[in-house]
Amino acid sequence: MTVIDIERPSDYAALPPRPAPFRRFFTETALLVGRGLRTIPRVPSRLSDVTIQPLIFTLLFLYVFGSAIHIPGIRYQDYLLPGLIGQSLAFGVIGAGTATATDFATGVVDRFRSLPVTRLSVITSQVVGQILEQILGLVIVAAVGIGLGWRPHLNVGSAFELVGLMLLGLTAFTWFGVLMGMIFKSADAMQGIGFAVVFPLTFLAGAFVPISGMKLIPRTIGEWDPLSALVAAVRHVCQGTNSSGSWQLTHPVVSMIFWCALITAVCVPLALRRFRTTTAAK
Amino acid sequence: MAHNDVVVVTDGLSKHFGDFVAVDRFNLEVKAGTVVSLLGPNGAGKTTIVRMIATLIKPTAGSATVCGYDVVRDSDAVRSVLSLTGQFAALEDNLTARENLVLMARLRGYSRKDAAHVTDGLIDRFDIGEFRDKLVKSVSGGQRRRIDLAASLVVEPRVLVLDEPTTGLDPRSRQVVWSTIRELVATGVTLFLTTQYLEEADALADYIVLLDHGRATARGTANDLKSQIGDQRVDVVAADAAGLEKLVLGLSSNFHLTVSAEQRMVSIPAPDDVNDLAKVASAVHDVGVEVDEIALRRPTLDDAFLALTGQPLAKDQTDHDLEESRS
Repeated sequence: MTVIDIERPSDYAALPPRPAPFRRFFTETALLVGRGLRTIPRVPSRLSDVTIQPLIFTLLFLYVFGSAIHIPGIRYQDYLLPGLIGQSLAFGVIGAGTATATDFATGVVDRFRSLPVTRLSVITSQVVGQILEQILGLVIVAAVGIGLGWRPHLNVGSAFELVGLMLLGLTAFTWFGVLMGMIFKSADAMQGIGFAVVFPLTFLAGAFVPISGMKLIPRTIGEWDPLSALVAAVRHVCQGTNSSGSWQLTHPVVSMIFWCALITAVCVPLALRRFRTTTAAK
Repeated sequence: MAHNDVVVVTDGLSKHFGDFVAVDRFNLEVKAGTVVSLLGPNGAGKTTIVRMIATLIKPTAGSATVCGYDVVRDSDAVRSVLSLTGQFAALEDNLTARENLVLMARLRGYSRKDAAHVTDGLIDRFDIGEFRDKLVKSVSGGQRRRIDLAASLVVEPRVLVLDEPTTGLDPRSRQVVWSTIRELVATGVTLFLTTQYLEEADALADYIVLLDHGRATARGTANDLKSQIGDQRVDVVAADAAGLEKLVLGLSSNFHLTVSAEQRMVSIPAPDDVNDLAKVASAVHDVGVEVDEIALRRPTLDDAFLALTGQPLAKDQTDHDLEESRS
């Protein structure tokens, strides 16, 4: 080329020396999480997935079905809200999966991976961003619940326990969702399959009515559905209730920790492996 | 290590997906300051080569280096000297043009202040000002491509890789992207570009490699290749089979014909443009048969393949379908 340095744009500032990978990992993760959070107010549907739907369920069950549901020893608000919170956690799988599938399909992930950024930060930011989004949804659901008469019986100790369990649950279900998103690679498929699987499991998990009153087949599924442990654990911590039935229902907190640890231990290595080998879908 | 002025070198670079050979022993050298184009249809392996060079996938065999850095062993170093603009204008739809560019600059390691400075420079240079604060999802395809190009230039890369930069754009947007690319080239950027359009390779590249089923089947400057392909052609389509026979009889003494019976078409080289068209038209008139169509046509990728590989272009799956079905 005959044209020369004179025309070369002088806008390039010198890049600062690169920090150690460990430091870069945190900066890059924060930048990528920021990218995700900034889009939340611009895509109302994303937030409505984590808020409107649980709110509709709250109203529907509290004021429509709830009038015919009587659970001995507990007000229905106090039974329902922990169930809805458990359901919201489980739906995090769908949200995380959909967001991940979209990023892969549009090539955004490939672009990030073609940059000199630590690769772990690309997937970590996906998980952290989703967790923050879910927390926002959970806070809104809980606030509305309290407004409608939900009274959690929390002291300082059990409040910490609740937060700990929530973070554990969010971590497990979000990693699971990210892995699913990379496997299905299509936001539509992710939503379809997600709702077809997660919806029935939350209904059987004792989120809305006690498992003990169900017929044999749903009761058996419900007793061993990991989501049942989740719902029972949240309810146990919030309201001090005990569930009866299978071992996991009588020991819900331990069972929830077990399930979440298991899901995390299985999904994280699979997701990281998949992340290294998966590229854009179309 | 290669000479200083050679930026990209591939040596026997191959990629297999199971039994399928997507790229077969591909060799290439890209000299600094030149524009090299990979030209081929969907499924030829262009994107797979780009992905190996950009460290997104690992070669099955052979090697590639960028500025002397090996794409497998020194992948992080490769990523710091290369910028990739993939096929899909990979921007965050729900950020504005400016926010996308700032994010890219920050990920490259600029401080907040320097990132803003670099971004503003790019907004001027790529004429993005008008839609800098619009969400990317609401800009046109051509504008999106410009933002995408700018995003690849938040640092000054030693080599810029553009994978099908104008696929899916309307002709006007294509012209705009071409002129943007030409301006880039004028600043001395080394460019490695893939395309399905012969016209695009011709317009932009110093050196063209024709790729078919993962193999380089021809290479040279645009002029080298064109002299092999032949220039534009006049196509005459007869109204019926009998008419085609008469045409062949009547024209073969004066013209060099290629006959395609199933399309009822004869095709005649027309290096002399409209003059040749006029000669052919008057000869057809003399034969006195009815024709459906008579037209001057530029050589297409199909012609190039026919001329250079002796085979018509196969209608194939795309690179990505193949990758997906095998991943």
